Amino acid sequence: MDRYDICIIGTGPAGISAALTAKNRNKSILLIGRKDLSNKVIKSHKILNYPGLPDITGEDFVKAMREHLDRMEIEITEEQVTNVYAMGDYFAVQCAKEMYESRSVILATGVMPGSLLPGEEMYLGNGVSYCATCDAALYKGKEATVLGYSPKEEEEAAFLAEMADKVYYVPVYKDEVKLSDPKIEVIYGRPEEIRRAEGKSTLVLDGQEIVSDGIFVLRDAVSPGQLVPGLETDGAHIKTERDMSTSIKGLFAAGDITGTPYQDAKSVGEGNIAAISAALYLNGKERSNG
Amino acid sequence: MVNVVGSDKWSEIEGKEAAVVDFNATWCGPCKMMAPVLEELSGDYEGKVDFYAIDVDENPDLAEKFSIMSIPNLVLLKKGELADRSVGFKPKDALKTWIDSQL
Repeated sequence: MDRYDICIIGTGPAGISAALTAKNRNKSILLIGRKDLSNKVIKSHKILNYPGLPDITGEDFVKAMREHLDRMEIEITEEQVTNVYAMGDYFAVQCAKEMYESRSVILATGVMPGSLLPGEEMYLGNGVSYCATCDAALYKGKEATVLGYSPKEEEEAAFLAEMADKVYYVPVYKDEVKLSDPKIEVIYGRPEEIRRAEGKSTLVLDGQEIVSDGIFVLRDAVSPGQLVPGLETDGAHIKTERDMSTSIKGLFAAGDITGTPYQDAKSVGEGNIAAISAALYLNGKERSNG
Repeated sequence: MVNVVGSDKWSEIEGKEAAVVDFNATWCGPCKMMAPVLEELSGDYEGKVDFYAIDVDENPDLAEKFSIMSIPNLVLLKKGELADRSVGFKPKDALKTWIDSQL
């Protein structure tokens, strides 16, 4: 497998800026994101403070960045990153379709909408799980609650029901639930909190509580700490140093994911720093390897 | 080296001064990623900490005993007593810090 120098995850202003700088430094790069770059930027009506581009619309800004990438011959790999594993000397970037390897990583995924439930982080791994396919087998003869944030999680609930005695499914979306397994009970309500006591997990909804052996919280967007296991975060944000390095060697972060202000100009600056820091990190490593 | 064992070897593990037991399964992606990291660590801690791997599918009794609800699940035992546990994939440096804090 090809091992890239720098894998950049995210195609907003921070990711694009990092990719352009990394390419300029002659590093082999893997840019993972969307061909339309960033929905969030496209939707900004007008950007008023970007130097040199007065009153540019989000749409035009994205178009200009797209052209810039094309001119620099930078390709975008459209993939959904599920996990980034720090393997020591390199990173394994697990995507929905494939696994990639890179010697360094720049996270520029933006901020995730929505926040964690109270109790969720505290009981993770002890009554709270994010991975039905990983932990289903441990629920043989047990009861589980699934909190699904999109209709595709119904499949996970059905898979879990093959193992568990009973599955409570709480949809956090408007679409009709299409689950017919008699072992699955669909319960409607707004999740408020997760509690854990005497070996049982309780999901508190507005109006009722569901008690079971464990709760699966299945979201579309994952928090940075979930994306990169072991990474130090500050809630929804990643803790970074002045050079955009994180608590994991070789892993850098840039853009909204590092915290406010959520501004294009700030993201572009951080992307630039992150790419330079990643290049310095790689050069240093090469030197130490003789 | 990480010794892949089952319930029958449990008494050996309990007799160790310090042991890290990795509860895993063949169908668990993060467990697979963690295996080479643990292999490296077992070399770094040779003579100090012994490393074992236990498949939860084949050893449901041990999984039950240690209330394993999520894998990968590392259990650190000192003379057979549960000292601490670490759940989910962790980078090597983080695992080192964790083990050192327990020794």
